[in-house]
Amino acid sequence: MPDTAAPPNDRVNTPLLTLITQQSLDEDYRHVADRKALEPGAQRRTSGIAAIVVAVFGVLVTVAALQTQQGEDVRSASRTTLITQIDEGRANLSELQRRIVRLRELNVGLQSHRDEVTSDQLGAEARVQRLAASTGFGAVTGPGVKITVDDNPDGTLVRDRDLRPAVNGLWQAGAEAIAVNGNRLTARSAIRNSGIAIRVNNRSLSPPYVITAIGNENTLQANLMQTTSGLVFRNTVESLGFPWSMDNADQLFLPAAPPRIARLRSAEAGTAEQNQNQHRKEAPQ
Amino acid sequence: MIAALGLLVGIVLGVMFQPDVPLGLEPYLPIAVVAALDAVFGGLRAYLDGIFDDKVFVVSFVSNVVIAAAIVYLGDKLGVGGQLSTGVIVVLGIRIFSNVAAIRRHLFHA
Repeated sequence: MPDTAAPPNDRVNTPLLTLITQQSLDEDYRHVADRKALEPGAQRRTSGIAAIVVAVFGVLVTVAALQTQQGEDVRSASRTTLITQIDEGRANLSELQRRIVRLRELNVGLQSHRDEVTSDQLGAEARVQRLAASTGFGAVTGPGVKITVDDNPDGTLVRDRDLRPAVNGLWQAGAEAIAVNGNRLTARSAIRNSGIAIRVNNRSLSPPYVITAIGNENTLQANLMQTTSGLVFRNTVESLGFPWSMDNADQLFLPAAPPRIARLRSAEAGTAEQNQNQHRKEAPQ
Repeated sequence: MIAALGLLVGIVLGVMFQPDVPLGLEPYLPIAVVAALDAVFGGLRAYLDGIFDDKVFVVSFVSNVVIAAAIVYLGDKLGVGGQLSTGVIVVLGIRIFSNVAAIRRHLFHA
């Protein structure tokens, strides 16, 4: 730093703002003026350069002002764009909220529908279980009657037509489920001979033959003996000399019939008229 | 007189051509303008004091502009650009005010 008018100590002690105010004019002007005063011969140049510099200053000011103005335009334009975007977003939001409300209502409707369907399903399942029990495709337990028949020791064998009256009589007497040697009887079960063996549900049985029937244990035996089939059975068994017994049982377990015999091969669901229409529709293909 | 003419010519040129400022220099233009303003008012005061000199004016103008822009550039690089430009504006503003006060004393003898 060149020497200033003030001694160094003063300069250090002067507050910054005061210093700035005191030296607001470039000291160089004073220095040059002092030097010129010492050298009166120095020529004074024209102020052409100063004019050019001032012109540059004018250009600077103009350009800065124009730039700021353009920036302002861009800012306000972007502000307008932002406002538009906000409005669009708000409209979008309210549309989405309306959609939420609609979907909620739909959801409530669907849920009540689902509840209906679920209760229908539960009802149908219960019905299926009841039907399975009564048709023989579901295992059942309960009190009932147990009839045991064996071959005559003299060699006379029990045949299918000897057992059938017992089963028919039990059905007539009010039995709810019947099994022969653990083979559950269904609408598609038959008791028939194949050679010397009796077969039920395509399974060969071996003596002694045990007919278990679930029903009212107080009335089943008596009712059986009042039916024609029951009497036929007793007469046959006694005349042929088969050892037999008939007892009440408190707890009988009857297994389900094998599902393979539940398959319908030719029968189709529906009434005859419906099926005829179905066949007519399929015929042209 | 010639200086006033130069200012007019400069403004007219700026309006006519509207030169594009490079994007990198754009933040330093306002600070450069304020620094130039300080140099111009200093020159005017010196003229009225009768000690005006072309060379000193040109040098002070150029150095003012360059140094002001450089300080703000450095501040930007250090992450204190805003604060530094505020400081530069304060110092230059005080100088401009005191110079204008001196000019006023010369013109109105008050």
